[in-house]
Amino acid sequence: MTSPPLPITGFALCNALGRTRGAVRDALYDGRCGLSPSPIELPFETVVGAVRGDLPELPAALAPWSTRTARIAALLLDDLRAPLEALRGRWRPGRIAVLLGTSTAGADVTENAYRHFLAHGALPRDYDLFRHHSYGAILHVVRVLSGAEGPAWVTSTACTSSAKPLASAKRLIDAGMIDAAIVGGIDTLCRMTLQGFRSLEALSPEPARPFSAERRGLNIGEGGAFLLVEREGDPMALLEAVGESSDAHHISAPDPAGIGARLAMERALLQAGVPASSLDHVNAHGTGTRLNDVSEAAAIEALFGRDVPVVSTKGYTGHLLGAAGATEAAIAILALREGWIPASLGALPVDPKVTARIATERTHGSFRRVLSNSFAFGGNNVSVLLGAAR
Amino acid sequence: MSERVGVAGWGVFVPGFASLADWLATRPSAAHMKPEGTLVPLRERRRASLLSRAFADAFADVVAKSGLDPSQVATVFGSALGEASTMIGLLDQMWQEQTALSPMKFATSVHNTASGMISIATGNRGFTTSLGADYDTPAMGLLEGIGIVQREGRPVIVCCGDEGPPGDLVPGDNGWSLVCAAVALCPLDGARRDRPQLSSLEMASATLPPAPTSPSLGRNPNVGLLDLVVALERGSEGVVRLDRGAGRGYSVRVHSERA
Repeated sequence: MTSPPLPITGFALCNALGRTRGAVRDALYDGRCGLSPSPIELPFETVVGAVRGDLPELPAALAPWSTRTARIAALLLDDLRAPLEALRGRWRPGRIAVLLGTSTAGADVTENAYRHFLAHGALPRDYDLFRHHSYGAILHVVRVLSGAEGPAWVTSTACTSSAKPLASAKRLIDAGMIDAAIVGGIDTLCRMTLQGFRSLEALSPEPARPFSAERRGLNIGEGGAFLLVEREGDPMALLEAVGESSDAHHISAPDPAGIGARLAMERALLQAGVPASSLDHVNAHGTGTRLNDVSEAAAIEALFGRDVPVVSTKGYTGHLLGAAGATEAAIAILALREGWIPASLGALPVDPKVTARIATERTHGSFRRVLSNSFAFGGNNVSVLLGAAR
Repeated sequence: MSERVGVAGWGVFVPGFASLADWLATRPSAAHMKPEGTLVPLRERRRASLLSRAFADAFADVVAKSGLDPSQVATVFGSALGEASTMIGLLDQMWQEQTALSPMKFATSVHNTASGMISIATGNRGFTTSLGADYDTPAMGLLEGIGIVQREGRPVIVCCGDEGPPGDLVPGDNGWSLVCAAVALCPLDGARRDRPQLSSLEMASATLPPAPTSPSLGRNPNVGLLDLVVALERGSEGVVRLDRGAGRGYSVRVHSERA
């Protein structure tokens, strides 16, 4: 079923490249890599995409909810102050939803609290599972800071966590259940995730090089992105459709044939009622792992041919896991607004098995319709189709 | 939010009972103390947590009762804490044993483990999601499900559950026991005439009494979906509160006759 596109009236970014949309934009334009040695002590070598510097504290009333995740959320909302105020002027608070995604939630706090428990037989006195770890914590902080009083949930589907809320927002607005939504996601660095990806032999000891013949895996990053999706408003870009699918193949490995990935992209086009030939750019999931990059590129090439430029931005930010979907959708909006896409950092020499056209240099042009892919554990796939504001 | 959706069926896993009818009649079964998860192939089942197996059992129950095709139906899995016990297992490995983490345990520590396992087991390449909102998890799971039915005109199974939280993280008597409940929703034009319907969510004060649970079961963040399933099983009509007073107050109205 096709449905009209919805305006995206604001978006904010915070990650290793910078703490505001403008800073992230400038770093991407200049081709600066945000990856650096891990601030978390680890028994192996890797680099990470850490948000730099101290994060401002939350207002006093929210101090009991203060975590790194919550403080990044506050930065993102601060970056959205003007469009959020306009949004609040258009819609009743109860009709504004908060639809977020995360894979880590408060794992960074809990892993240290649990270490304290093991050493001392008790959790730290100020630790509270429901204020520091669970999904309700970040929802509470964003609701209070934004004034949104509508439905609120966190999608947690690993690396598609923050792309799926865009689909939820579109469905709920199309069905008349809400008028607007604050959509996005946040993940923060923690030992467990880093050690987990290490155990899967997926971590690269050096900055990730998606699509390169010399790629050695992925790097973990942290940060987040929020987007404002409304029924009406002044669009910065258009949310045209979101395709969702499952691989039905393996819990942690992508289907080598890329069937699920292709289905997600096809469903996005079908939902928008537009042909594959109308697409100008793909911001790929592009993790830098052996398995993902080849199967994703094959699925892209099969659908869009070899002319559409493809970029992975994980070489700049690391893989933001639960925040990757919203982050990369926001980066794709930059292409629609400004007419350039960043180079796929580190892609040269491109793997000869990668048949799609990888943009190895910053590319300027007219980008009217772009797709942002996210794929996850569980074989969960999401493709977000975005259009330029008309 | 007034449009209705049909209910095609419902299901549960309640520890110690073979079925919803047995639980309501207080006919316990020692053979059903733990979920079996037989929907999931043996190799994956061995790696599945208690929660994932309970999701699989409740999902199998609702599929059997609704007649929906598990390889096609959209699915929404809701859980407040998800695979928290698997996470604690990984933290034990990391902090106590100081060994490399088990790759399989890590891969199944994500919140959408059950969603992935069940899509693989049923060969379903369609829509699946996994969400949480503390004590509003059942309400938000239903809202996501109702959105899919209303917007896309296709059936969806909403399955919500939590296992008991790791005792170390929820001290005192604030823990809860495992329960998993599921509801199959469908568009009205495909709904059977003898099945109930739901209106979308509302904030209501006059609600049906909750199901007669133990205090421990009653603290489970997903007990509100069990309350809805009990109301459906009993043929009740009225408003079911979905959070037992611990969340933001969302309720859903059950209708026994067609709109």
